[in-house]
Amino acid sequence: MTLISAITRHRELLWNLAARELKLRYRGSALGFFWSVLIPLFMALIYVIFLRLLGGRGVPLADVIIGVFAWQFTVQCINAGLTSITGNANLVKKVAFPRLILPLSATLANAITYVMSLLVQFPLVAILFHTSGQHFSPWIILLPVVLLVHLIFNLALTLLLAGLNVVIRDAQHLVGILLSAWFFVSPVMYNLDFVTRHAEAHPWAPKLFLLNPMTVIVTGYRSVITRDVPFPFEPMSYISLALIGLLFVYSYRLFQRLQKDFADLL
Amino acid sequence: MSTPAIEVENLGKSYRLRGIAKASLRDLLVKGWKKSQSEIFWALRDVSFQVPRGASVGVVGPNGSGKSSLLGLIAGTITPTTGSVRTHGTISSLLELGAGFHPDLSGRENVFLNAAVLGIAREDVARRMDHIIEFSGLRDFIDMPVKNYSSGMYVRLGFAVAVEMNPEILLVDEVLAVGDLAFQMKCLDRIREFQKRGKTILLVTHDLVTVEQFCDEVKLIHQGHLVSQGNPSDVILTYLKTYMARIGHLNVEEHGTREVELTHVRMLNENNEEATTFTTGNAMTVEIHYRAKKRLEQVVFGFSIKTGNGFFIFGTNTQIMKVSVPAIEGEGIVRLRIHPLSLMEGKYFLSLSCHSWDHATQYHRLEDWYPFAVKNKSTAEGVFQLPCSWEIKPNALPQGN
Repeated sequence: MTLISAITRHRELLWNLAARELKLRYRGSALGFFWSVLIPLFMALIYVIFLRLLGGRGVPLADVIIGVFAWQFTVQCINAGLTSITGNANLVKKVAFPRLILPLSATLANAITYVMSLLVQFPLVAILFHTSGQHFSPWIILLPVVLLVHLIFNLALTLLLAGLNVVIRDAQHLVGILLSAWFFVSPVMYNLDFVTRHAEAHPWAPKLFLLNPMTVIVTGYRSVITRDVPFPFEPMSYISLALIGLLFVYSYRLFQRLQKDFADLL
Repeated sequence: MSTPAIEVENLGKSYRLRGIAKASLRDLLVKGWKKSQSEIFWALRDVSFQVPRGASVGVVGPNGSGKSSLLGLIAGTITPTTGSVRTHGTISSLLELGAGFHPDLSGRENVFLNAAVLGIAREDVARRMDHIIEFSGLRDFIDMPVKNYSSGMYVRLGFAVAVEMNPEILLVDEVLAVGDLAFQMKCLDRIREFQKRGKTILLVTHDLVTVEQFCDEVKLIHQGHLVSQGNPSDVILTYLKTYMARIGHLNVEEHGTREVELTHVRMLNENNEEATTFTTGNAMTVEIHYRAKKRLEQVVFGFSIKTGNGFFIFGTNTQIMKVSVPAIEGEGIVRLRIHPLSLMEGKYFLSLSCHSWDHATQYHRLEDWYPFAVKNKSTAEGVFQLPCSWEIKPNALPQGN
């Protein structure tokens, strides 16, 4: 069962499961969907204040907002990925359907939330731009491309962790630690410019940062939304993009290999 | 001859005894992925059979014999370790009643979700929603979150969705044991309807009466092996004798000096055919073949009957009934005739014994040795069919008024 045929043949199930995910996420909470926007906004504010206190010269608030929303999407996918099989043990043990549908539906639900949160993010960024006399970049038409790369990366992580967490339950604890470390080495609450300024003695440092797919993705968003951030068209960026592709293929294969034993291991 | 609906070939499924649940990171780092042979447990091994299209096949066996693994393998939820399963036609398994029901969603929302899980198109569900609600009998509760449902309600809704799928092959695992009697009847009706439409049915249950009523063929599984298969009453008899009676409240044992040995016993129905299921009100004959090693006088033959849960119902012997038994030597036959059989529907166990007139010597006793089932054609209830009749006199004035 390949990815595409699983999606087309079971799109109804995929959609139903994603809808379930979304319905349940906001059921019973007064603010509902707005939590998906409020949380990254509060985080962005905290980071900006924290960074100003620590580093003196800051990073534009718009950059941080873009970074935090994008980061939040990835974190949500990772968390959903970890539980997408283990949390649906009943379904996996009792019904035969491509297991791929579960991590796919988790990613789909998060992608929908993310796109909806962008609809809130953009007016905010527009207001910030307006106060500082900036304008949106014309390259914003390439936003879907960045989104697609981000989506593929997140799907790869979801698949990887969905499968691994069934076989090795330590995965979820390990991921918690790795996530905090990863957050600090990804330009979420800062940007590449910030790295360059703070590591003038080590000109290779920003290049090393680019090996992190998250750097390329977040910088990609910033470069198509704002006019101040250029996209780093460098070999390292291409390597990073290739890594995303490789990770996707690896995760997909690993998941398909592991899924045979899911019913036994749950 | 058309292709069979289900083809199972050398099917095997093994689990690791230790770490069936999970390998921790430590295991992974220390031991690697190696599977050590000694820790392997075979839930099912070298099972091969075919189920012809339109057949109803029952699968019986003691708990933990591998029945559910077999169904899981056929349904495709479990991956076989060895061998293969080939199925022809859509499968719906009534083993996942309410699988994927989410406690926080309402009954209606869960119907849509569950239907999607089972592969029913959304429009079909919308169209048949009324029918589903009707069948489940949950009209007043359909918009309530299922976390507030009772377990019976949960299963009823699950069943209502599952039978809407209209599959070619229906796998049923013990689901008939849930729900109240009325709903069980509804379920059985629905399964009969499937049978009539020529669907293939594979039924796993401990309810042997149902198996015998429904199935054309029965497969007996024990410790992962297909031990016996064929005619329902034969296989059920083997099953009851070999495995079932050794558990529970019954006291299956055989003892005695064997000066007289009960060598062979045949249980015959009203048509003098060997059977394991008898009908209330009809005759039941027990034919006991014995062999006396020496000449013995005043031998007593006795029998008793207990229910499946060990309740003693009746017992008597030739001495109590003042039947004169001549001196015996060598081989012979004793016939016990029970007519009419006044037991109601259920499972029973027959004990037989042969002892001396003063009970001093037990020659041969077969305690709870012979299981049998009774079917009741009427809908009267209870343990016994009491001989009764009614006399009705309309417009007759009571005396003394």
